[in-house]
Parts: sequence; structure tokens; C-alpha cells
Amino acid sequence: MPRLILRALSLATFSALLPVSDALAHCIVGGRFFPATLTVDDPCVADEMSFPTLQLNSANPSGRENDIEADFSKTITQDFGVTVSSTWTRVSPPANAGTAGPVGYGFQNFETTPQFQLLKDPEHEVALLAGLIVDWGNTGAAGVGATPWSTITPTFYFGKGFGDLPNSTGFVRAFAVTGQVGYQVPTTSFDPVAGSPVPQNLVWGGSLQYSLPYLKSNVIDLGLPDFINHLIPLVEAQFSAPVENNFGNQFVITGTVNPGVIWVGSYYQIGVEAIIPINRSSGTSIGALAQLHFYLDDIFPSTLGQPLLGGKPQTTAMAGR
Amino acid sequence: MRNTITAAMLVLLPLGSAAHAHAFLDHADPRVGSTVPTAPRELSLSFTQNLEPAFSTVEVRDAAGARVDQGKARVSADMMLVGLKPLPPGTYQVHWRVLSVDTHTTEGSFSFQVGH
Repeated sequence: MPRLILRALSLATFSALLPVSDALAHCIVGGRFFPATLTVDDPCVADEMSFPTLQLNSANPSGRENDIEADFSKTITQDFGVTVSSTWTRVSPPANAGTAGPVGYGFQNFETTPQFQLLKDPEHEVALLAGLIVDWGNTGAAGVGATPWSTITPTFYFGKGFGDLPNSTGFVRAFAVTGQVGYQVPTTSFDPVAGSPVPQNLVWGGSLQYSLPYLKSNVIDLGLPDFINHLIPLVEAQFSAPVENNFGNQFVITGTVNPGVIWVGSYYQIGVEAIIPINRSSGTSIGALAQLHFYLDDIFPSTLGQPLLGGKPQTTAMAGR
Repeated sequence: MRNTITAAMLVLLPLGSAAHAHAFLDHADPRVGSTVPTAPRELSLSFTQNLEPAFSTVEVRDAAGARVDQGKARVSADMMLVGLKPLPPGTYQVHWRVLSVDTHTTEGSFSFQVGH
């Protein structure tokens, strides 16, 4: 009996100290893993890093543009995190007529995004997230289009997996959707250089994804090659429309549709997508997007992969569930 | 900040070799979504990472929701096994929840059929 008591006490102590990290992971909700999508953000706070994200011939109606981007996301608490982003751009012709030479290059404005996890519903594979994207004015190069004013975009993100559908729906259960919608407010209403108003924009986007890892482990194991079982084919789309202070400008919705695929590993993922402009105002040719993305919560589970505050609060006793 | 991100990458990436990732289901026997002609006496689950035995569980239920597993699962490294009661023909639902050795929890569920 004393040995049983000691064992129980040991288990209780272990349980109390254990940093069980349901909410810390990259975007896992119940049995669903939402990968870090390349165009829109996934609906979770996380410890992760994307570097590099390469855009070749990205959507730019007035010239050819190539971008290299780095993003770093850090959880502060289990439900609150911050992402910082920086993009280096090479564009021809330069975005600013005052830039010398045929090519403009330099950094875009620095971007920060605090995010708060509103909901994770494991049973229905639903995740909701709120964020505030801040593009800091005058921190980038005018020659690549960085503005001297800041832009603030309150944004709502969601994700929904269809694994909660009846088993009879079979292969459909491996589908998932994510999306985001934001309202972009510049800190100025008039651009004195261009001599035109600066509109407020509605920006939205989403992804439709088919998870072969989910198919294999939750629906049916077809015995496919291991490489195939790590793939998530998807289509992403992003759009923007001026909805306020657009006097004198034509109302045009711009955006791209990006079909591609993500290979998901244990510590990182690799994604590639095509960038297809929806109209000539969005771009004049098809581009490409590629990203290497690291799961810091898996690479550094006890250090960088933990929230800065309250990283070990959960003591969920799973035994016996 | 740009320099900070670059420096962080250079410092951190080589340290990744000592890491452990989330434990995802690699394969199951009976296989996920399969139909087996005779009732299995045991369910085995193989994961992509080693598991913490005390915090890793699995349940098997029949179409009426009644437990048909023998109770506590046996865990060894990345394997989890649980005995099954005699299973009549029908559909069975498996729900697992595991803690990998890096303290991340994952869960999932699938079904298999016997004798149809």
C-alpha cells in the first residue's frame, strides 16, 4: 500500500509539473492540424517561424516584383501571441517615381500583429482568432512602395475542419477551410505626393485544404507512399476592396487565387503555390510563392517553444480519460 | 528587427536535432477505416514519437457507444496496445489521446469494421 501511495503521489507531482501544451502547439484543434498557409494566416497563436517566404513575380500591376519575407511568431501567454514580419522587395520599375535607376529595392514597412485566441473547439475542429495587423509607416523604402503612413487592420481569423461530419461522408471529412477578414485603416486620408485620397480597404481571404495526413490517420489509411501522406493540397485566395475615402478612384476589387501544396514534416513544412491575379488591376502575369516554415514549439519544446508567461499552467490529468 | 530574426535563425536552427515533435498516428492495426473479416483481439497504434505512458489513453466503442476495450492501454516507446473484448460484426470507433515525450498532446479518432 505505501508503494501505491508513493506511486500516486509521484504521478500527481509529475502531473502538476508537466507543461501539457494543448494550446501551445502549432495549429492543432482536436484531431485537425491546420498548416501554416502561405497567403492567409492560420487561425492560431503559435511559436513558429517562416524563413524564407519567396515571391517570384508577385502580383503587381505596374511592374515585376520579387519578395523575400521573414515572419517570427511568439506566444506571450497560451492564448496571446505576437508576429513580426519583414519583407525585402525588388521591383521594376520602382514604385516611387523619384527613385533613381530602373529598379527599386529595399524593405517594405515593418509589420507587427498581436493576436488573441478566441476559441479552440476540438470536437468540431473550430478555431477563432482576433488580431491587429499594424504596418508601421516610414519604416521601409519608398522605392518599393512602402508608405510614410501606418496602416492598422483589425482582423478576424477562423478555421473549420470537417472531421466532425458523419463517418458515412468518408473522404469529405479530410477537408478544412480557413479564412480571415479585416478592415484596413490608414493613419492618413490623403497622399500629398500622389495627390489622391488614401482609401480604407476591406481585405479578406481564405483557404480550402485537403489534408492527406488527416485522411490517413482519421478517415482511411489507403496505404499511400509516405511522401504523399504528408501532403496538404490547397487553394488560397486573398482580396482587397476600397470601401471608404475612395473619391475619384475607380472601385476595383483586387486579389489573387493561389493553388498549391504543403508538405508537412515533424519540425518544418514546405509550401509552394502559384499566384494567379484575378484581373489586370491585380497583376499582369502568373507568379510563384514558396515558403520554408519551422515549428518552434517542436524544435524547442521546453524553451523558445513555450509561452513567455504561464507556460506550465495546465495539469490536465489525462490518465483515465 | 531584421537582423534579430536572421541572428535568431542562425543560432537556433542547429539546436533542433535534440528536439521531439508532436506524436501523430503513424499506423494502426486494424488499419484506419478498414474492414477486417475476423474480430481482432487487440488494437495497436503506432505513433511518430515516443509516448508518456501515464498520460496516453485509447478507447474503443461499439455503435451503441459501449466500451469494448479491455481498459488500460499498454504503452512502450511509440506503441500503444489495448486488448479488445470479443467483437461481433459491426462498426467500432477508436479515440486516442496521447502525450508525447516533449509534453505536447494530440488526439484523434477513426473507425474500423468487423465482418461486413
